[in-house]
Amino acid sequence: MNTLSLVMRNITRRKGRFIFTLLGIAIGMAAFVALLALGGGMRAEIRNQAQAMGANLIVTPTDWCTFDQISIFTGEPLPASLSSEVLDEIRDIEGIFVAPYLTQASAIDMTPVAVIGIEVETMKEFSQWEMAEGQYFSTDADRSVVLGASIANQFDLGLGQEVIIRGESFPIVGVLEPVDNLDDLGVYLPIPVVQEAFEIDDNISYIGVQVENIENVESYRAAILDRVNVAVSSDEQLLESVLAILGSVEVTLQAVAAISLVAASFGIVNTMMTAIYERRREIGILRSIGSKRADIFKIFMLESAIYGLLGGVIGSAVGVLVSLFAAPTIMAGFDQIMKGASLEASIEPMTIVTAIGLSIAIAVVAGLYPAWKASNLTPVEAISYE
Amino acid sequence: MSKKTVAADAMTQTVSANASSEAIITTHGLTKTYVKGKIETPALRGVNMEIPRGSFSCIIGPSGHGKSTLMHLVGGLDRASSGDVVIDGIKIADLNDNELSELRASKIGFVFQFFNLLQNLTALENVETAMMFNKNVPAKSKEQRARALELLKLVGLEDKAHAKPNELSGGQQQRVSIARSLANDPEILLMDEPTGNLDSKSEEEVLDQLLRIHATGKTIVIVTHNTEVSDRAEILYEVRDGKLSSVTKK
Repeated sequence: MNTLSLVMRNITRRKGRFIFTLLGIAIGMAAFVALLALGGGMRAEIRNQAQAMGANLIVTPTDWCTFDQISIFTGEPLPASLSSEVLDEIRDIEGIFVAPYLTQASAIDMTPVAVIGIEVETMKEFSQWEMAEGQYFSTDADRSVVLGASIANQFDLGLGQEVIIRGESFPIVGVLEPVDNLDDLGVYLPIPVVQEAFEIDDNISYIGVQVENIENVESYRAAILDRVNVAVSSDEQLLESVLAILGSVEVTLQAVAAISLVAASFGIVNTMMTAIYERRREIGILRSIGSKRADIFKIFMLESAIYGLLGGVIGSAVGVLVSLFAAPTIMAGFDQIMKGASLEASIEPMTIVTAIGLSIAIAVVAGLYPAWKASNLTPVEAISYE
Repeated sequence: MSKKTVAADAMTQTVSANASSEAIITTHGLTKTYVKGKIETPALRGVNMEIPRGSFSCIIGPSGHGKSTLMHLVGGLDRASSGDVVIDGIKIADLNDNELSELRASKIGFVFQFFNLLQNLTALENVETAMMFNKNVPAKSKEQRARALELLKLVGLEDKAHAKPNELSGGQQQRVSIARSLANDPEILLMDEPTGNLDSKSEEEVLDQLLRIHATGKTIVIVTHNTEVSDRAEILYEVRDGKLSSVTKK
């Protein structure tokens, strides 16, 4: 007989109470782990999208808010308020390579899609697209479309078919090879054609900038700001903006999970306090046969810690399963804000270790007061308890 | 059997049951007052006594006169309000809580009226549990198990080793309790009404066990109302009104 086996006997003697107390902490931990795993997945995917853009700097109008800026990553339609003069000014700076974008909204089969105006030659080099079928545009005057791989697949579109934009039919001349990012969900046309179709003057939405020497990215930014009145963000800055928004959402959700954990910890306190009253005489028996206060404290602390350990393990396992199974469902919503993204739960071993450690820590803290109460009973008051 | 009764004024003098025997338990001016709010209830009013090593003694007297309190103080389950208890040369008042626990684990075995077994453990495990807290007994679980089985055999319950307390009769539970009290091979066994909850057949079985254990040299002190038990004692200490009123040596 040792302390652990004694504790295990105690903890499982009231099976119903054991299970419900365990469920309390396991559910809290499951929520915590699932949120961490899904949040981690979203972060990874956002980074992936940002890297796929291939731009080091993004030039936008000065009046864009953060939401407009991060919409670049999410494929939303954007205001067209940068003039071609601005583009030409920036293009004249040595050591940079620019690609303008004009993002507008249209629909295929009543489903919203992003129509993206591009500079034909520039974009071929900037994004290094490969063709899956058909051909790329030949000039900026081509009145035809090239489809991203996912759009072609989603609407079962291919060569010889047409896409109607603003009432005009555009033949599909090519479909891009899948690149597993936002580019897969674009309907591409040359910028002048989009400007004409959407009746936009000589304007574009934003400009992607690749720099020759990434070490000097700040001097390029300064050079751009010196020439024109625009906002220049690095892709890292935009990424940080998106991640900050996601982070605040994550923190809120984790706070909800934390509240459920705190509630569960009171469940442990309640269970342990009840156990003390029920087992008062037993504490007296143990004291009379020579156990010290520290032994009683250890027994009750160990019981709490086991609740934490088991709750953490079960909660983590359930949390991982939930995040794996829930990811596709959540993806449906995520796709609305980040087109072309694929969300997978990001399950890091460290997340599991942290969750189990946290669960034990919460349970141990919850067990402190009951264990202290139990260990402070004098042998005679405990043994005389009826 | 000849009897020698000494009237004792426990407040003023030490009564030795057998002056020639070495005392294993000695009390000096032992008092205990329970305080609840502003109400003070004196339970012991100065008890001086000596219990010889290897004796079979009973503490008798009417209910509510301080017998169990005396046993709790002698066993180190409670602290005296004043006075001393000396166990085998160790003054209890000088011990801190941990040292007192070690003393209980190593030198004293308790048997209670209501058996006080851990209900979720088997008879065998109940006996083993007593060894968990004593540094001087085998730490290895195999050795603990072997000793626990040996003790259950001693009380004739080896075939009930894996039974839970609620599967045992009262007499059997008390015999498990006796086996547990012997687990750490203590020199002193303190018992509070060990037959108080048993039928006459079980009472007889338990008494036989106690006499056999006493024959091995253990000091046995029993608090009892039961004359069947007190008739077999070598020394009777009578407690009345919180004082030791007489000592009878048979």
